[in-house]
Amino acid sequence: MTSYAKKIKAAVLCGAMAVGGTSASAEMEYQDVADLLHLVMSSDRTVYTRMIVNRLAVKEKVITASEHFEDDKALVLPAQMFRFGAEMVAEETDAFSYSLLSLWPINKQNAPSTDLEKEGLEYLADNPGENFYGEEELGGTTYFTAFYPDISVAEACSSCHNEHKDSPRTDFEGGDVMGGVVIRIPMDG
Amino acid sequence: MSRTVLLWGLWALLTGLGASAVFAALYINGDRSVLLPGQTAGAHHQLEIACETCHTAEPFASQAKVQKKLNKTCVTCHKDELKAGDDSHPKKKFTNPRMAAYWEEVDGRFCTTCHAEHVPEQTQPMMVTLQGDFCVSCHSKGDQDVRKNRESHAGLGFDTCASAGCHNYHDNRALYEDFLVKHSGKDWLAAHPVVEAAALPTAAKPVDQQEIATYLAAIEAPAADDAINHDWAGSAHAVANVTCNSCHAAEDTAWTDHPDQGVCADCHKSAAKSFSLGRHGMRGHSKISKPRDVEKRLKKLGLPDAPEFLVSAIETYLADPSQPEVMTVQEARVDLKAEAHGEGMTCNSCHLPHREEPDHSAVTACLTCHNDDHSLSYLDSPHHNLWQAELTGNAVPGSGVTCATCHMPQSEKKGLAVTNHNQNDNLRPNEKMIRSVCLTCHSLEFAIDALADPALVSSNFSGQPTRHIESIDWALKRVEPSEQGANQ
Repeated sequence: MTSYAKKIKAAVLCGAMAVGGTSASAEMEYQDVADLLHLVMSSDRTVYTRMIVNRLAVKEKVITASEHFEDDKALVLPAQMFRFGAEMVAEETDAFSYSLLSLWPINKQNAPSTDLEKEGLEYLADNPGENFYGEEELGGTTYFTAFYPDISVAEACSSCHNEHKDSPRTDFEGGDVMGGVVIRIPMDG
Repeated sequence: MSRTVLLWGLWALLTGLGASAVFAALYINGDRSVLLPGQTAGAHHQLEIACETCHTAEPFASQAKVQKKLNKTCVTCHKDELKAGDDSHPKKKFTNPRMAAYWEEVDGRFCTTCHAEHVPEQTQPMMVTLQGDFCVSCHSKGDQDVRKNRESHAGLGFDTCASAGCHNYHDNRALYEDFLVKHSGKDWLAAHPVVEAAALPTAAKPVDQQEIATYLAAIEAPAADDAINHDWAGSAHAVANVTCNSCHAAEDTAWTDHPDQGVCADCHKSAAKSFSLGRHGMRGHSKISKPRDVEKRLKKLGLPDAPEFLVSAIETYLADPSQPEVMTVQEARVDLKAEAHGEGMTCNSCHLPHREEPDHSAVTACLTCHNDDHSLSYLDSPHHNLWQAELTGNAVPGSGVTCATCHMPQSEKKGLAVTNHNQNDNLRPNEKMIRSVCLTCHSLEFAIDALADPALVSSNFSGQPTRHIESIDWALKRVEPSEQGANQ
């Protein structure tokens, strides 16, 4: 099977997973599924960060972006936009789940909570441009867990994290690995 | 036949009958109140005999399924308030497998983890059935250790998180750090304290006695009772051509002296809906289960074609008791006046049927039943003085504060004031009242301090808070670092 055809098949399977709630097919590598899911996630997230938040809040300054977007009548932060999507997916299916984590989280809930998360996030930080894959057992289920670097793609990313009063790190620059997207696919059944 | 054999036979017969009755009540039909494992919490006693409201799993389902279905029913009724309260610990935050370690501590995927039912002996305020220091389970270790993340919290006990006016598990809309900073440094009382929605024009009605007299003289008086004619002619109902028959013989039905609530609800839909969401009206909530259908129950037990005599016998002798349509005063589990016993909660409990009387609906009706210190202190409170001033024309509209001002807040919709008839909507925890009510006239600091002072709540806010909650001070310290570098 050519790489192109494999990707098409994977995309179809991804769609079926999201709709039907089935787990990843044995015919398809967990890593391929995770890579494709991440491609969609990171593209959407980059578009929102660059074309909405960075353009309107940082360059044109016509609106602000705020964690308290309702009270402040502001844009949802890129990290929140990503997280809300993850929560919506979690309400629809348990065939996969994803999160945005960091070794330097503003919100401490997003610090690594499993041994593999710590290992994966450290690998991403130490090996820019590389992904990390592993398996772990959580709550009695074995998961294929994939880690993808979350990179500062716009000025808004690094400046906001550097200036936030709860940020444990204040020297981020454009292009830095700021954390990681973690995708989990249950391997049992 | 010996006497012993006879007695054994009688014992077996009675035991069989008893077991059958219990089985029938559990799985087919019958009064199950004796089988209630323990009193339910809060206002849930109002739906205690309608077990299927919460217990929706099939008989003999697995424990996991029972737990899942049970918890689903919690959000059937409480979903909107959790959403409106911007729930700080929603279920969706806990379902990700990375939270598995926390499931062992406090399993946030299920409401029943903290709010177990039928265990009155361990039920705390807010219907919580965990110890008051439950925050310790997740916020005391590693990266989550709040004592390390917040210098100000270093010496605090975990039993104070939710009990000192600083945090709530669900609703922190008025307590989150940036909100505290944003609303800091204001005077305790606004320069012009007025509830704008309460000052909106109400539905058109005659302006004075002369207009009422002229109107009545021009029509054929509809009722035999002059007082009723006069009251009705002065109301918005008369202006809107809502006549006697509109309510007493609605839609060409036979005349009734006492129309039921449905007649009111036909027009006052939004009021009826919000009324059914609060303790006063929740007996009318659409999600309370109806008595079980005998044929359906028999079918589920493997008797799809049960003989008609069996069905009718069960319906006659083992019928599920019907849920009362309205809540009554004597059923309530809060302190109410003995002389109000026998009263049922309907629209007319608070609204006079033929006359609009704001003082009656917003104050007098409440005090007809409520007998706690906070209610009894109202008439001597500064809030009541403001209401008296507004009623006598000595203060501007919207400046008075009644029971309803705080417990049934109004909002503007299409230029008119809409009253929230769910008087529990902002009640517990009382910090829910800060944004919807208190901040209209008071500073955030004053509101937090006042609501955290039980004696001041009891005296219906007659005075100033005697304690100060430091949350705003601490929040300010983090954004305005002192020379010592308070910002961590």
